[in-house]
Amino acid sequence: MSTQSIPPSTRAVRAIEEASIAPAPSPLKVVLRVASTVWSNGKARIGIIILGLMILIAVFAPLLAPYGARQNGFDRSADASAAHWLGTTAAGEDVLSQLIWGAQISIFVGLIAGLLSTVIAVLVGLSWGYVRGFGADVINFIVNLFLVIPGLPLMIVIAAYLSGGGIGMIIVVVVITGWAWGARVLRSQTQSLRSRDFVTAAVFSGERPFRIVFREILPNMTSLIVGNFFGAATAAILAEAGLEYLGLGDTTVVSWGTMLFWAQNSNALLTGQWALLFAPGLCIALLATSLTLINFGVDGISNPRLREGKQR
Amino acid sequence: MTALLEITDLSVDYGEGADSTHAVNHVSFTLEHGEFVGLVGESGSGKSTLGFAVTGLSKPPARVVGGRILLDGVDIASLSSDDLREQRHGGIAMVLQSGMNALNPVRSIRNHFVDIFRAHGHIDRADWGTRAAELVAKVELPSSVLDRFPGELSGGMRQRVSIALALSLEPKLMVFDEPTTALDVLVQHAVMDTIIELQKRENFTALLISHDLGIVLESAQRVLVMHEGEIVEDAPSRQILENPGDDYTKMLLSHYADPRAEVVKLPGFEGRTRRAPAAAPPTVSSRTRRQDQKAIVVEHVSKVYPAPRRGEPQVTAVDDVSFTLEPGQSLALVGASGSGKSTLAKLITAVEKPSAGSVRFGDLDVGSLRRGRFRQLHRDVQMVFQDPYAALNPLHTVEYTLTRPVVNFTGLKGLDARRRVLELLDTVGLSPVEEFAAKLPHQLSGGQRQRVVIARALASNPQVIIADEPVSMLDVSLRAGVLALLEDLRQQWGVSLLYITHDLLSARVVTDNIMVLNGGRVVERGNTAEVLRNPSDEYTIRLLDAIPNPGRRDVA
Repeated sequence: MSTQSIPPSTRAVRAIEEASIAPAPSPLKVVLRVASTVWSNGKARIGIIILGLMILIAVFAPLLAPYGARQNGFDRSADASAAHWLGTTAAGEDVLSQLIWGAQISIFVGLIAGLLSTVIAVLVGLSWGYVRGFGADVINFIVNLFLVIPGLPLMIVIAAYLSGGGIGMIIVVVVITGWAWGARVLRSQTQSLRSRDFVTAAVFSGERPFRIVFREILPNMTSLIVGNFFGAATAAILAEAGLEYLGLGDTTVVSWGTMLFWAQNSNALLTGQWALLFAPGLCIALLATSLTLINFGVDGISNPRLREGKQR
Repeated sequence: MTALLEITDLSVDYGEGADSTHAVNHVSFTLEHGEFVGLVGESGSGKSTLGFAVTGLSKPPARVVGGRILLDGVDIASLSSDDLREQRHGGIAMVLQSGMNALNPVRSIRNHFVDIFRAHGHIDRADWGTRAAELVAKVELPSSVLDRFPGELSGGMRQRVSIALALSLEPKLMVFDEPTTALDVLVQHAVMDTIIELQKRENFTALLISHDLGIVLESAQRVLVMHEGEIVEDAPSRQILENPGDDYTKMLLSHYADPRAEVVKLPGFEGRTRRAPAAAPPTVSSRTRRQDQKAIVVEHVSKVYPAPRRGEPQVTAVDDVSFTLEPGQSLALVGASGSGKSTLAKLITAVEKPSAGSVRFGDLDVGSLRRGRFRQLHRDVQMVFQDPYAALNPLHTVEYTLTRPVVNFTGLKGLDARRRVLELLDTVGLSPVEEFAAKLPHQLSGGQRQRVVIARALASNPQVIIADEPVSMLDVSLRAGVLALLEDLRQQWGVSLLYITHDLLSARVVTDNIMVLNGGRVVERGNTAEVLRNPSDEYTIRLLDAIPNPGRRDVA
């Protein structure tokens, strides 16, 4: 080995321009491989198809909906007919149109609130898992506080306090009450990863704690974070519907939650208009189910055993 | 007499179709009654896959795709799982490498025996207790262990229990898959002795699967050498030792030597063993940035851990150890597990703080270094980890892994940093460097990974490298290369080396001085060759005796 003088191979290297650097396996390939793993799970495939259909419906609502969401003036509380497939509301609006337009709000709130609470869970969980001593105790106290307070009453109190904020307010409420559990899960995984040799090696490489947490540890728990996101989005969709059903959101916006609120207000069940109650309820359940089903496939990414089990 | 086990043309694949890997490729061999046969191969040679196939324990994605396994004339491969369970009585038993972890922690040892007796019903309920006591006595354990729980037993005792459990069905064939690999050196030796004794007494047929040719040659009458899914040699032990036929066998054999010999030769180390001890550290032009050479001074250091449970005494991991590691020196720290050698490494690298005494590196007091100041120490003191599979982040390319310390410690950026990274790869012998820089850890072999780990340790231009069992996780054929690399770096770069190991042979070839630790205390120290050739402490002698040596049976 010739380290004293410049070895020939190194000399050759010096002539090489950066442009000729062989690319590392492209991130696109990794994403495709992960996607095919999720797709190969039957349950996840059903979930992806349902979610995909719902998103398409939400995106193309202006094209798909026969009428506007708040367009009234039709017969009040009419039964299903050729003109109104699911009938009309007590205010004379088309139920099918409301259902299609309402998908926008539910999916939007679910994804945004799920994303935000996941981001908070990641930031808190990872730093909590990495620090030791007094700092960890303080975070522990705060997280436990959020975990022990019953979720729905807290949501109602905050929503009542911030009344009139509309969708933005609902997102804030859902995020405040929804991040703590994810933070706890991510913290325990961080604690187990931080004792691994490659993390110690990063300390020896002179890395700062921030970089160790977010460049060394975080990428190793991607599937857990993705799983956490789908879980949080499911909870957000259900919470949003719940808050709006209680009339705590902006009741003039058309969403599945407010549809339920108005259906309840107009005693839809007593007038025999089952579609008014069941259709939005079923949609909420279907959306939440699709996300949960996708999570089965996400589990397979981090745990190969769940994949191989089917072959036996 | 017909053969007990007859394997003809056996093939085992992993996966299906075009992606399948042929782990075992058209293997044929026979085992006679009462024979002790060794099966040797390096990792990935298919030896464990073969062992699992023989015992009918193959699990997906492994599939037996061809051939026959005849035990007393019955084809095992075609048995249903119910028939297979019946056959376990008086058939084949297996002892696994992690067999000691296969015990249920919440059930007493007695219950483990009772489970087997109940499932097979071959022993009267009244005799269960005496039979269990009889079985543990066979593996040299007192009958009092029956009332203990697995967590209360040591690793060696648990492995003995799992051997006793395997014996409880009076098997004709016992397959031992790396039965001692996970155990401490001294315990390894004792458990191996028990297995050999047991085989002679009970006269079952034994198939010992191991990566360690030394252990196999010491115990087996006949040896099968496996390489890339095929059996390349099948011969009596003595013939393998004296007149190996296959090149692969010869290569494996060349990596064994007696550390007590006057001259120790290993591939890559010929003519190197008689170097001048404690030569002046060479200075190298490329390392002119170094201002001065500093020594690591350890003075009366102790480390005491709090008691594991209430009422138990404290654990003294390191007890009043003092030594100095001069610049350019190489020092071996040897001892069995629990001797405190890894704790000492943690104290020197500031991962742990000493309970008493001081660790200094130049003017730097390592013991009182705050977390935020670690860079100061790690600029000069670097570490090579034991397990190359765990020490590299699986998601980062080699280039990223090496760029980080270069950027952090040398201040080089961009193209300069990249040039330095490629230089490091060249230094550790990974060329073409461009290609290796772009690879992810899972695309590298164990030996290549360990070279990357060493390159990372070199990135900061350190003065001291602490190598914690750097080759214990590697195959024999890769060990010499990594050791030779460490030795080259020391000689050419003037890096001092603290080499932590339980392997006295490798200590003999890479270090000048040696310190033997037992229970946290230094029991012997001095020049490596002198200490190993004329050991004075009883513990050192035991460590030396525990080394598997293919030639020893001949001498005895």
